[in-house]
Amino acid sequence: MIHFDNVIKVYANQNRPALDHVSVDVDKGEFVFLVGPSGSGKSTFLRLILKEERPNGGAIHVAGKDLSRLSNFKVPHLRRRIGCVFQDFRLLPNKNVYENVAFALEVIGKPRRFIRKVVPEVIELVGLEGKAHRMPDELSGGEQQRVAMARAFVNRPMILLADEPTGNIDPATSIGIMKVLDRINRTGTTVVMATHDAAIVDSMRKRVVELEDGKIVRDQSRGVYGQAY
Amino acid sequence: MRANFIFSEVWIGLRRNLTMTIAVIITVAVGMAMLGVGLMINAQVGLMKGYWDDKVEVSVFLCGKGTAMPACNGKEATNGQIKALETHIKSIPGVKEVYFEDQTAAYKNFKDSYSANKALVDAAKVEDMPQSFRIKLVDPDNYQPIVQAVQGQPGVAQVLDQKELIGPFFVMLDRLAFVALAVAIILVLAAALLIGNTVRLSAFNRRRETGIMRLVGASNLYIQLPFVMEGVIAGLIGGVFSAIILIMAKVFLFEELGSFFGDATSQLGWNDVAQTITITMVIGVVICVLASFVTLRRYLRV
Repeated sequence: MIHFDNVIKVYANQNRPALDHVSVDVDKGEFVFLVGPSGSGKSTFLRLILKEERPNGGAIHVAGKDLSRLSNFKVPHLRRRIGCVFQDFRLLPNKNVYENVAFALEVIGKPRRFIRKVVPEVIELVGLEGKAHRMPDELSGGEQQRVAMARAFVNRPMILLADEPTGNIDPATSIGIMKVLDRINRTGTTVVMATHDAAIVDSMRKRVVELEDGKIVRDQSRGVYGQAY
Repeated sequence: MRANFIFSEVWIGLRRNLTMTIAVIITVAVGMAMLGVGLMINAQVGLMKGYWDDKVEVSVFLCGKGTAMPACNGKEATNGQIKALETHIKSIPGVKEVYFEDQTAAYKNFKDSYSANKALVDAAKVEDMPQSFRIKLVDPDNYQPIVQAVQGQPGVAQVLDQKELIGPFFVMLDRLAFVALAVAIILVLAAALLIGNTVRLSAFNRRRETGIMRLVGASNLYIQLPFVMEGVIAGLIGGVFSAIILIMAKVFLFEELGSFFGDATSQLGWNDVAQTITITMVIGVVICVLASFVTLRRYLRV
């Protein structure tokens, strides 16, 4: 599903590479934690999957497509197959829960009838039934992140990327968020989650890929966050 | 493509940037109006030139009994002189036709021209009227050689060219058109910069939305179209105002001008105005679209 082959990424005006000869394979339906200290290259890894950045070396395949051969024109179609969740939720403050989720479908030109059908389903999936007409500022942080996950998942992507989704949320609420991610993963969606949260990684017992200074220092299935932290 | 989604986005964008939008509309309206006025003056000048080119002639006045011109020495032109003069004029290159206006015809023209001034008409007699040759030219703009060739011939009192009289008027109109077009170019530049700034503000205001749109895979068209449409709509509204200004210019400026310096054939017609309005509108909208696109390329990387 996601295939990195000796990927190098160096940002302009920086000597040290953000990613240094990284090779990873993520299969369909896998759940992968991406761990490592700040600046270790986790976010760069996720941005490369979305083709928001271009690698300086190596090859990246996502959903069977060679990203280096994917024309700019087709990048939006790639992104339609990838859902994204962030630490800061990125909801639209002037739209309610339903509208925020529906927005993701409206802007890719889905018909209204389809939107009316799938949006309530996905709102229920993330556990926000009955709150469809709340505005984001009327919701708790955990609930806002659920809206963001509903928006990321509403188009049934093949891959869900989560960049520290529990970073702004207290541990008790984080468990709920992880349950939703697990539920999404069980539908067959590949999930890649970058995180600092040792407790969550340890409790989930999923594959862990650890980055340090742009290099992969550990890749183990059913791993834990690691001794060093 | 969901038109209502695009239009609701456009409406939100225009409302958020209301003052900038108004500035764009005013600049486009005035700029396009100036461009239109310049084009219309050019068209009007062309029409009036055509009208006058048919009319203008070189008048060669002959010495009469009491002509006070020094060239006459107080002597009336003889029939022989008149004959010789006619052959001479016909031999000058660039002369299209020549006809002789005798005193009776001159008196009739005089009466027609000054019919309002009864006292003057009553005071004048047929014998007071000068005889003259009226020369039509092949090229009315090129009158000097003919005037020089006739001037000083025996029996010639004075050579008058009407082109010389109306020439400065056309020069002034040409200058007006030039000034209007120069102002139009400056304002079009200002409009392009203003639209660029408006789109920039708009892109900044909506960076959350566009960020999410990029993320969920909206196509470039979907992301950029609302911004371009904002420019197009501002340009169109500006175009409508400029059309109103142009119609007023036609009614209050060009119709007056045409009635002073020509007849119905030299009037700028409504189809000319419609054409000018179409041209200015198209130019206005194209500039808005171009300015939006160029700015989007810089501030809304997709």
